Amino acid sequence: MKSTDKLILDGTQLSIHGVLETHDTDYLRVFLEKNKAVFFDAGKLGLDFSDSPGIDSVPGEILYKFCRQLARAGVKITRIGASKSIDSLFASFKKHESASYSKKRQIGIHEHFEDLGEGVYTFLKTLSGLWFFAGETLNAFIGMILHPLKIRWPMVFYYMEETGVKAVPIVATLTLLLGTVMGYQSGFQMQIFGAENFMPALLAYSITWEIGPMLAAVLVAGRSGSAFAAEIGTMQVRQEVDALRVMGFDTFSYLVTPKMIALLFVMPFLVLLANCSGIFGGLLAGIFFLDFPASTYISELGKALIPLDIIWGMMKSVIYAVIIANVGCFMGIRVRGGASAVGKATTAAVVLSIFLVILADALMSLLFVHIRPGLSV
Amino acid sequence: MNAILQVENLRGGWEKQLVLDDVNLQVNRGEILVIVGRSGCGKSTLMQHMLGLLKPWSGKILFNERDIWESSQVLQESRRRWGVLFQSGALLGNLTLLENVMLPLEEYTDISRPDMALVAYSKLDTVDLADFADSNPMEVSGGMQKRAGLARAMALDPEVLFFDEPSAGLDPVTSSNLDNLIKSINKSLGTTMVIVTHELPSIFAISDRVVMLDPEEHNIIAEGTAMELKENSTDSRVRAFFGREEFTEKKEE
Repeated sequence: MKSTDKLILDGTQLSIHGVLETHDTDYLRVFLEKNKAVFFDAGKLGLDFSDSPGIDSVPGEILYKFCRQLARAGVKITRIGASKSIDSLFASFKKHESASYSKKRQIGIHEHFEDLGEGVYTFLKTLSGLWFFAGETLNAFIGMILHPLKIRWPMVFYYMEETGVKAVPIVATLTLLLGTVMGYQSGFQMQIFGAENFMPALLAYSITWEIGPMLAAVLVAGRSGSAFAAEIGTMQVRQEVDALRVMGFDTFSYLVTPKMIALLFVMPFLVLLANCSGIFGGLLAGIFFLDFPASTYISELGKALIPLDIIWGMMKSVIYAVIIANVGCFMGIRVRGGASAVGKATTAAVVLSIFLVILADALMSLLFVHIRPGLSV
Repeated sequence: MNAILQVENLRGGWEKQLVLDDVNLQVNRGEILVIVGRSGCGKSTLMQHMLGLLKPWSGKILFNERDIWESSQVLQESRRRWGVLFQSGALLGNLTLLENVMLPLEEYTDISRPDMALVAYSKLDTVDLADFADSNPMEVSGGMQKRAGLARAMALDPEVLFFDEPSAGLDPVTSSNLDNLIKSINKSLGTTMVIVTHELPSIFAISDRVVMLDPEEHNIIAEGTAMELKENSTDSRVRAFFGREEFTEKKEE
C-alpha cells in the first residue's frame, strides 16, 4: 500500500487506511502541513481510524503533536474507530508530553566551582588510595623477600622481557637522537665563544643526571605502566580479578609484585643504556658536525664524570620503577564498569605516573646538590 | 503460510570453518520462531546470517521475498525494518536509557529531538521503564537493561524482532517476566519474532514453532511445536535435549 493511499481527506474528515508506518512519516508531515488551513478555518478535525488496525509510533507522534497544536488553537478534534493500540499509544504520548527532555544540564558559574572542587577532591582521593595501595604492595613485597621461593619467577621473567628487553630499541634510538641533537646544538653555540671543549661535560651531566633517567621513565610509563593498567583493568571488567580472589589467590602477589620486581630489575639497566646511547649520540654529533676528535671527547668525558653520576641515575630509576608499577597496577585494580573505564584507567596511569616521576625527580635533585662533590658551595 | 523471512540453501560459517550446510528455513509473518540447539550448533551463526552480519558462502536470505544481499540499499532498508536485542542488551554506557532508545530514531528519521524523546518515552512505557528514562545503563539491573534494549529494538516498530539468548544471565522470575513481555508484544503488535535460546522454560512459554540445529549435521534436525518435539520425536538427540527437565511438562499442563 502506497503512502498516498493511506490518508484520505474528505472535508474536515481525515480517514487513515491501513497501517501508517515509519517510512510514511515524511508524507504525513507534508500532508498535514498542506491541509492545516482547512482544519483551522473550519474549526474542527475528525480522525477516522476505523479502517486502520494500528499506527507506528513515529507517525503517531507527528499526528498527536499536530492534533495538540490544533487543539490549542481551539480546533475541535473528534476521534472515531481508534483501536486499543492507537488509544494506548496516544495515552502514552499524553502522559509523557510534559516530561521535559534536556540533553545537558545548565552550566552556570556555580557548577564550574562545583566541578573544580570535585576535581580536586577526586585527585586527593586518588592519591590517598594510591598511598594505601603502595602500603599493601610494600607489605606483599616484604613477604616475598622473606620467602623468595614464593615469588612467581616465570611471571617476573615474562614481565622483564616485556618491559625491559622489548623497550631496548625505542629507548636506545630516542636517547641516541636526543644526544646527537643536544651535542650539536650546544656545541654549535659554544663554538662561538671558543668553549666547545666543555660540550662533552655539559652533555654527560645533563644526560646522566636528568635526561637519561627521565626519558627512560617516561617511555616505560607510556609502554608498560599503561599496559599494566589495561591488563589488570580488563581482568577486573571480566570479573577475572574477582575469580582470582574467590579461588584464594592473593591478588597482590599474583598481579602486582611480579610486575614491580620485574621493573625494579630492568629500569636501572634501561637507564644505563639510555645514558650510554645519549653520550654516544653526543660523540657522533661532535665527529660529524663539529670536527671534534673522538679522543678529545672521551678524555673530556673522563675528566667530567665520576661514578656517582652514573650510579645516581640508576638509583633514581629504582624509585621511578616503584612509582610506575604501583600507579599502573593501582589504576587497573580501580577499574569499575565497562570497556571505556579501562581506556580511562590507562590514560590516568600514564599521566599520574609521569607527574609523580617528575615530582620525585625534583625532590631528589634537591638532595643530589648536597651529595655530589663540586655542586654545593 | 505467509513467509516474511526465508533462508534458502544457506551454507555459511566463520572464516573457513563450516557451521551451516544447506539450511532451509521459513519464518512466517506474526509467529514466534525459536531456534534451539546445543552450544556450538550454529544458532547464533544462523542469526548473524539472517541479520546480514555474516555473508552466506552460498544460498540466499530473503526478506519480504527480496534477497538482502541484492544490494547495500536492500540490506540497509531491511535492517530498518528489523530490531535486534543482543545478549547483553548492548546499551551504550555513556547515554541514558532514553537516549539509547532514541538512537535508531536519530539514524532513520529526521524528526526533532523532542519528538524523538516522546516516541522513546512511549517505547519505554511498553517495557515499563519510563521512570528510569534518565538512568544510565550501569545504574539499572540486568533485566532492566534487557528491557531497555528491547525498547530500543522496537523504536522503529520493526516487522521482525530478533533476540539472542534473551534470558541469559537472568533469574527465573525476571526471565519469565521477559518471556511474558515478548509474548504480549507479539500478541498486541503482531511483530514476527526470531529467538535464539536454550532455556527450556522459555521455549515452552513463548514459542509458536521450534527448529533445532545440530553441530554434527550443520543443519536443522527437527521442526515443530515445542510439545511435538518433546512428546513425539524419535530422534535421540532431540529427546536428550528436551527430556532432562521434567518441571516444564507440569507447567504446560
